Amino acid sequence: MSSNDGIGRLQAIEQQFDTESVSVVDHKSLEDTRARYLSRKSGLLTLELQSLAKLPKEQRAEFGRVANEIKLKIETSLETLQRAIDQRETQAALQREALDVTLPGNRRRIGHRHPLTIVWKEIEDIFISMGYTVEDGPEVESTYYNFEALNFPLNHPAREPRDTFYVSDDLLLRTHTSPVQVRTMEKMQPPVRIICPGRVFRRDAFDPTHSPMFHQVECLLVDEGVTFADLKGTLERFHKQFFGEKTKTRLRPSFFPFVEPGAEVDVSCVFCDGSGCRVCKRSGWIEVMGAGMVHPNLYGFVNYDPEKYTGFAFGGGIDRYALLKYNINDLQLFFLNDMRFLEQF
Amino acid sequence: MKVSYNWLKEFVDITETPRELGTRLTNLGLAVDALESHAGDWVFDLDVATNRPDCLSHFGVAREIAAAHGTAVKPPQFELHEGEKRANAIFSISIVDSDLCARYCGRYVAGVKIGPSPQWLRDRLEALGVRSINNVADVTNYVMMELGQPLHAFDADLLEGQTIIVRRAELDEKIITLDGVERELNPSVLAIADAHRAVAVAGVMGGAETEISASTKNVLLESANFDPLSIRKTSRALGLSSEASYRFERGADVEMARYACDRAASLIQAVAGGTVYRGVIDVYPRQRKPVAVNLRRHRIEAFLGAAVPDATVEQIFSRLGFKVKTTHEGWNVEIPTHRIDITREEDLLDEVARHYGFDKFPSTLPEWSGYGSPLPTEAAERLLRNQLAALGYSETIPLVFSDASREQRFRPNVQPVRLLNPMAEDEAILRTSQVPSMLRTIEWNLNRGIRHMQLYELGKIYRHGGENRSLILAATGVERAKTVHEPQREFDFFDLKGDVEAILERFNIQLKSSANSVPAYYHPGRSFRNGDFAIFGELHPDYAEEYKFRNRVYIAEIDVEMVLASNERRIIEAIPKFPSIRRDFSLLLSKSTCYLDVERAVRSVDIPELVQIEPFDRLETGPFADSKYALAISITYQSPERTLTDHEVDNFDKAILNSLRQRLGAELRQ
Repeated sequence: MSSNDGIGRLQAIEQQFDTESVSVVDHKSLEDTRARYLSRKSGLLTLELQSLAKLPKEQRAEFGRVANEIKLKIETSLETLQRAIDQRETQAALQREALDVTLPGNRRRIGHRHPLTIVWKEIEDIFISMGYTVEDGPEVESTYYNFEALNFPLNHPAREPRDTFYVSDDLLLRTHTSPVQVRTMEKMQPPVRIICPGRVFRRDAFDPTHSPMFHQVECLLVDEGVTFADLKGTLERFHKQFFGEKTKTRLRPSFFPFVEPGAEVDVSCVFCDGSGCRVCKRSGWIEVMGAGMVHPNLYGFVNYDPEKYTGFAFGGGIDRYALLKYNINDLQLFFLNDMRFLEQF
Repeated sequence: MKVSYNWLKEFVDITETPRELGTRLTNLGLAVDALESHAGDWVFDLDVATNRPDCLSHFGVAREIAAAHGTAVKPPQFELHEGEKRANAIFSISIVDSDLCARYCGRYVAGVKIGPSPQWLRDRLEALGVRSINNVADVTNYVMMELGQPLHAFDADLLEGQTIIVRRAELDEKIITLDGVERELNPSVLAIADAHRAVAVAGVMGGAETEISASTKNVLLESANFDPLSIRKTSRALGLSSEASYRFERGADVEMARYACDRAASLIQAVAGGTVYRGVIDVYPRQRKPVAVNLRRHRIEAFLGAAVPDATVEQIFSRLGFKVKTTHEGWNVEIPTHRIDITREEDLLDEVARHYGFDKFPSTLPEWSGYGSPLPTEAAERLLRNQLAALGYSETIPLVFSDASREQRFRPNVQPVRLLNPMAEDEAILRTSQVPSMLRTIEWNLNRGIRHMQLYELGKIYRHGGENRSLILAATGVERAKTVHEPQREFDFFDLKGDVEAILERFNIQLKSSANSVPAYYHPGRSFRNGDFAIFGELHPDYAEEYKFRNRVYIAEIDVEMVLASNERRIIEAIPKFPSIRRDFSLLLSKSTCYLDVERAVRSVDIPELVQIEPFDRLETGPFADSKYALAISITYQSPERTLTDHEVDNFDKAILNSLRQRLGAELRQ
């Protein structure tokens, strides 16, 4: 047997593999092919290599070199084929697992905070950041704290049973959170720097702009050297923070028994930026608060020295701020608790 | 109060358009609620503050505009031709109760001809929404709106004894007022009387018997000044208010009474003819002393935040008709009688600020040191709200008014806060429980086709003598809706219990069952009570039926003040270094054994390495006696110090099974 014959056979095996490998398309045909050529017992190439010993010594080296070259080539191309098949199968598996991702997602139920709470806490946070402390007090309040100590004369219309819910002659449902101001001032000497958010009551029928129960936040600052200009600046700062930096604040003279000078506070309309729309009745302004310098009569009730201390106070409806923030035109929505409304917050 | 633009122009020169004038009035503190055109005129609806009765007339508003313009106000020009006969010769006026009547001016006009008012007068009144009655009555209304002084005209021939006596009414004295209603008076009411009877309720309304009629010939004109508080009380007591009482109860200008009397007499003469008798019968027992108030210069800057030039301050005061004297500290200001609102320095500061212009003062932020802080429980409250939202509960805020009988069904032993003047009979008390309002919220939503919800409310409940915050959770319908991806699952008792556990766990509070019974509105077999601070379960079917709930409704009531005050620190544990071992047991138990018994029997063994017990399967029927049920539990052991050996764990298992066997007669299922 000549080595040329042997090498010829090796080359024939190589050619046969080249032809056959084209039809390797899956793991099974791959394994069959691998076995046919490389199987330890019966692989065509294995058998050839086993015949090496029968060759004359001088031919062995050449035959061995060629055989190993072909073996390496077959192994390499089998590996390449394997990778290609693996890849194809993975692709196929992924395709089988494909979902209709255009179906809507599974929604877990999450709870929603009430818009009044959202706005309430937002207002609290702004004032806390400006150095104010939050105070609260009872909703069933004495007429003393709700009216007398706030300089409401006995004949003031707000004291009428038409406007205020009474529990007895000297007990009522507070009509504002101002009693908390008096209670706080009774407890401490200035500086007093507080806000009082809370629930208040007035005898108004339940309609889109009125509710017998609503929410207020009031602010009180009493210290040495507090001025009307500070009141203006504080209101401006608060409204810029709450409605946005573009917001303008305006004070108009008005009268409240517990402040002097008293003012109504307007902000530039948040819907039209002050150019005039339906919400602001084309005026460009929306009334949001009452404000003023603390009336010196109040200091008499709490033993503050009006020569030493001055202060300002203001208050507005949390509900009203929420209406404006969310552009809602019906106050009743806050208290009906319709899920279709609540879920939007 | 309605004010006519054209009428104002009679008293002050106005170059501004009605709209511009409206802005000016608003900036002066006379807020314009509405501005409407009316037959060639413009009518302002002004919101006049309660402390400014001097602005309750055209002349008063004009005076304020003139001060702002820096021009002079022009009082109405009129001529009064008095006859020869003296009024006080034919008629007498006396004031018995001068504490309630500071002044009473009367004029006698003889031989008037009552008839309709001339067109100009009717137009003026109608523009302001006042119905024309007859020429004399219209004049009294006209002068009131012109000068702010309420007036009344009597048919003088119907006044008995040719006299007016101002006195307190007698007990049970009766009068039929102009509105045709008979009213019973008493000594707290000030009456205008003739020799025999009350003929008017002073400052509120005249009497029908002495009313001006078509046949009236002689008129007694009243222009008086009454005590504000007395008028307010009378008006309230009689449930009767009028344009006159509106002005008197705020405080009319005592110095205006006589002038207005003359003005009205002259107008009556012009529109109804007749002779005005000579002289005003002017009884003025309580002369008003002029008030002077000091303003210190340095207070302007200290109070308002900016100095105002002296000349400007003086100009503002003099335009307002105040007499100003300079002092070494500032000014001494004499206040005219119509400005009853000015009694102290701050009142003058207010005038300066208002007329100088609020917009002229700078905007500054107050100087301060210190810190701001929330309420002590705020951090805990926010944590709680976050937890509730994460668990799927949406917040509600219901009105807190309720009906006594409804509340009674839920809190039978609580004395409620009862309102003297509720808006409606079924809103007469403040709620004593959060449950009825929550059920109404559910009802509202169910009636609108919303069947699945999880709600909470953190709000107050009230009782006589106290109020406290409370938390309620409620759920009904499905926990998860059916979708294309998965089947639906009803919300059930254990969903609620899990949520309550999760909330309490956040605040380091352990849920422990207590033997006390639950309130009657809970399903007795599906409810749980933990002392007084947490009660939860399914709504009793009887109550559910009352509200026509078709699905089961779950509620939980939690004493939130206790939860928020819980300041037990959470202990954060390190992540375990050594593996845990889980062992499962399938037990056969008697039907009378509840899970809590099982857990107690397991824990009674006291194995420190036992970290968790969890039931994971329960069979009511199977290849075992009917009196038994099968319960599968898993027990997890773990040591923080080492990996447990099988041998140790086998011993734990044995001890636990022993305890279960001995305490509960439990058998291990094979």
